Amino acid sequence: MIGTDVTRVAVISCPDWQAVAAQCELQSRSRHEPCVAVLHAQRVVARTDGAASRGVLIGMRRREAQAVCPELHIAAHNPERDRLMFEPVVRAVGELVPLVEVSTPGVILLATRGPSRYVGGDEVLAARLHAIAQSALADISAGVQIPFGVSIADGRLTAMIAAAQSARNREPVVIAVGQSVQCLAQLPVAVLSDFAEVDRGVVSLLQRLGLAFLADIVAVKPAVLIGRFGPVGREMHRLASGLDRNPPITVAPPPEHASTHRFDAPVEDVNTIVYVARGITDELVGHLGAHGASCVRLHICMQTDHGEQTDRVWYQPEGLSAAAMAERVRWQMEAWVAARGVTSGVVLLRFNPVGLRAREGRQLGLWGGTTQADEWAARAIERLTATLGAESVQVAQWRGGRDPAEVFVLTAASLVDLEHRGEPSPVGKRAWLGALPSPSPSRVYDEPVSVLVLDADYKPLTVSGRHELSAPPAQIKIDQRVYDVISWAGPWPVEERWWDPLRQRRMVRMQLVITRNTLPQALLLVLEFGKWWVAASYA
Amino acid sequence: MRAVLNNARLSALVHEPLPAMPVVAALQSIVPDGVLVRGRTVLCSGDAAVSLALLVVAAATQAGSWLAVVGVSNLGLLAASEQGVALQRTVLVTPADNQREWASTVATVVDGFDVVMLEISRDITVSDARKLQTRVQTRRAVLVVVDTARRPAGQSVFMPDVVLHTTTQQWHGLDDGAGHAQSRDVRVQVSGRRVPKPTQHCMHHVG
Repeated sequence: MIGTDVTRVAVISCPDWQAVAAQCELQSRSRHEPCVAVLHAQRVVARTDGAASRGVLIGMRRREAQAVCPELHIAAHNPERDRLMFEPVVRAVGELVPLVEVSTPGVILLATRGPSRYVGGDEVLAARLHAIAQSALADISAGVQIPFGVSIADGRLTAMIAAAQSARNREPVVIAVGQSVQCLAQLPVAVLSDFAEVDRGVVSLLQRLGLAFLADIVAVKPAVLIGRFGPVGREMHRLASGLDRNPPITVAPPPEHASTHRFDAPVEDVNTIVYVARGITDELVGHLGAHGASCVRLHICMQTDHGEQTDRVWYQPEGLSAAAMAERVRWQMEAWVAARGVTSGVVLLRFNPVGLRAREGRQLGLWGGTTQADEWAARAIERLTATLGAESVQVAQWRGGRDPAEVFVLTAASLVDLEHRGEPSPVGKRAWLGALPSPSPSRVYDEPVSVLVLDADYKPLTVSGRHELSAPPAQIKIDQRVYDVISWAGPWPVEERWWDPLRQRRMVRMQLVITRNTLPQALLLVLEFGKWWVAASYA
Repeated sequence: MRAVLNNARLSALVHEPLPAMPVVAALQSIVPDGVLVRGRTVLCSGDAAVSLALLVVAAATQAGSWLAVVGVSNLGLLAASEQGVALQRTVLVTPADNQREWASTVATVVDGFDVVMLEISRDITVSDARKLQTRVQTRRAVLVVVDTARRPAGQSVFMPDVVLHTTTQQWHGLDDGAGHAQSRDVRVQVSGRRVPKPTQHCMHHVG
C-alpha cells in the first residue's frame, strides 16, 4: 500500500521546452524554423517535433543531426531564455493555483489536494489546467504548435510519465488514487533515466541483468539493490514502488533569523534583496546541515509594502545550496516584476524548506568534495558575479571549429557547474580538418583590424577563384604604417556551411611574418568580404 | 634581539623549501629558483609576453591551482590550451572600467585565486599596483603581469620580483608560401628584485 507520504500532484509539462523556446524566439523575429535543436556540450539536448520527425534524436552530435536534417537550425543552450519564455505559463497557472513549483523550465508541478477540492475533482482540475496551458502557450507561440501534457497522479514520477503520455494524446491524463503503482509496474526501466535522472549506464545494466520492467525492480529486495548499486539502488526501488526518490525527513523548523527577514524600509532593488537573501540562506543551509539535512524543495514568499505577495516552490533533486537559493530569489523577483505584480518595495522575505532529504556522503553542497583552492575560487567567482554581473566572469567551453576564435566559447561562470566540469580542452581529439595548424595565435581579435596587403609593385594583393595569389606579398599597411613582409605561408582557403545562405563563410587565410621595430612578428591574415584583415597575432 | 637574529640565520641555514607552484620543464632553467614562488609578482613583457605568460602559469593550473585572467584582451584560448593551461580551472574576468572598482575587483580576484594573470591597463597608478602586490604577498598567490607595450623593463608601475622580457629572434616553419609557423627563437632577459644577476636565455618556443 502506498504510504501517506506520497502527495498527489498535477504536472503540466512541455517536452523539449528548450527547443520550443528557441523556436518561439525565432518566430518572434519572424523567422519560421520548423526544425530546431538545442545543443549543449556537443550533444542535442532538445529538439522540436519537426526535427524529431526528421530523425533528430536526443544525444546526437551536431554533424549527425545536420546530416539527417540539413535544414536544422541549431540554437544555443540558454537557460535564461528558457526560463523567461516559460514565465507566462507559470503566471497563468498561478492565477488558479497560487503555489506552484517550477523545477525546470517547461515543467510545472502543483499539489492537487486544495485546488482539486476547490474546482470540484481531479478531472475538472486537469481539464482546467489543460485549457489554461493551451491559451497561455498559444499567446507565446505566435502560430507554432507547442506540444504539452497535463496529468494528475500520485507521486512525481508517475505524474511526469503520465504528462508525457498526455502530450502525445493531446488530452489530460488522470490516474486514479492508488492506481499509480499498477501503472508504473508495467513500464520499462528506461523511464527511470528519461524521467528520474537515473544514469543511462545503470538502466542499461538493469536491462542486461534481466530487470526489464519496474515491477521486476519492486520484486527485488531493496537490500540486494543497495548492495549492487549503492544509494542509487535504494532510490530506484523507491521510485519503482511509486514513492518519492528520498524518504522525507523532518528537522526542527529553522529559527526566525534563518528563515524570515523583515526589511526596515521597502526595498526596490533586486540586487539588495538577493544580497540579503544570501545571508539568510547561508544560515538556513547551516541550520539544516547541522541536522544532517539538505533542502530539495524550497518555498519562497515575498511581500511588498502594498500587501502584494508572491509564492513559489523551487525543486532541485540534489539539494539547494545557499547560492542556488539566493539565485531562485532573483528569478522569482524577476518573474514577479515582469508580471507587473509589484507596485512598491519588498518588506518581507521568507524561506520555508518544505522538502528535505538526508545528506549523504556524495551530497555535499555545490562545491563539496573539492580542495581548498576550489572552494576559494568558487567563493571568489560568486562574489565577482555579484559585483560585476554574470557576463563579466566567464569560463571557456570547448565547441570546436576551424577559426581560432570559434574553438572555445565563453559562458558565464555562474551558469556552469564548475565542480562537475571535465577538461574542456579537446584532449585526445584531433583538430578539425581545415583548422589552423598548431601553434595557435595567443591574441585573437574580436574585431579584426583592416589591413592593406601589397605586392612588390605596391599593388593590392588578390586571390583568384582557384586560390592563387596574384603575387607574393611584400608589404602590409596598417593605420598608414607600412611593414615589410619577411616570409609568408598560405593561402589556405576555408569554405564553411556552404549549404546555409545565412551562416556560410568563405575566406582565405595567410600567415605572415613582418618586421616591426626591427623584430619579426607573426600575424594571421584573413581575406573575407573582399578585404584583408588581421584576425590574430602571435604575441 | 640576538636570539631573533640567530633564529633567522638558523632558518636560513636549514633552508626550508619555498612555498611554490611548479613551472613547466622548459622554464625551470629560466625562472629563478625553478618554480613559481608564492607571493611574487612576475612581469612578462616584450613581443612574446602573452604566450610566455601562459607557459609560466600552465604547470601551476595543471597541479590544481585556479587561474584568473583579468582584463587580458583578445586572449587566444586555444593557444592557452596548447600551452598546457588547464582551462577547467581558468576564469576570465572583465573588470569594471573605472579605476576604483578596478582595484576592488582585482583585490577580490587575488583573494580567491592562486594565480592571477593581469594585463596592465593604462590608468593604473603606482599606489594601486603597490597595494595589489602587498595583497598578493599576504594571500600567497602569484601575480603574472602581461605587458606587451614595448617599453623597456623597469618602467612598469609594478615592482616585479621577476621580469621576463622577451624578444622574438626568428620564426621557423614559413617558407614563402609553403609550410606554416611552427616555432620561434625567443631571447628571454631575466631580471627583477629577486634576481641578483640579470641573465639572458635563448629559448626555442612553440607558440
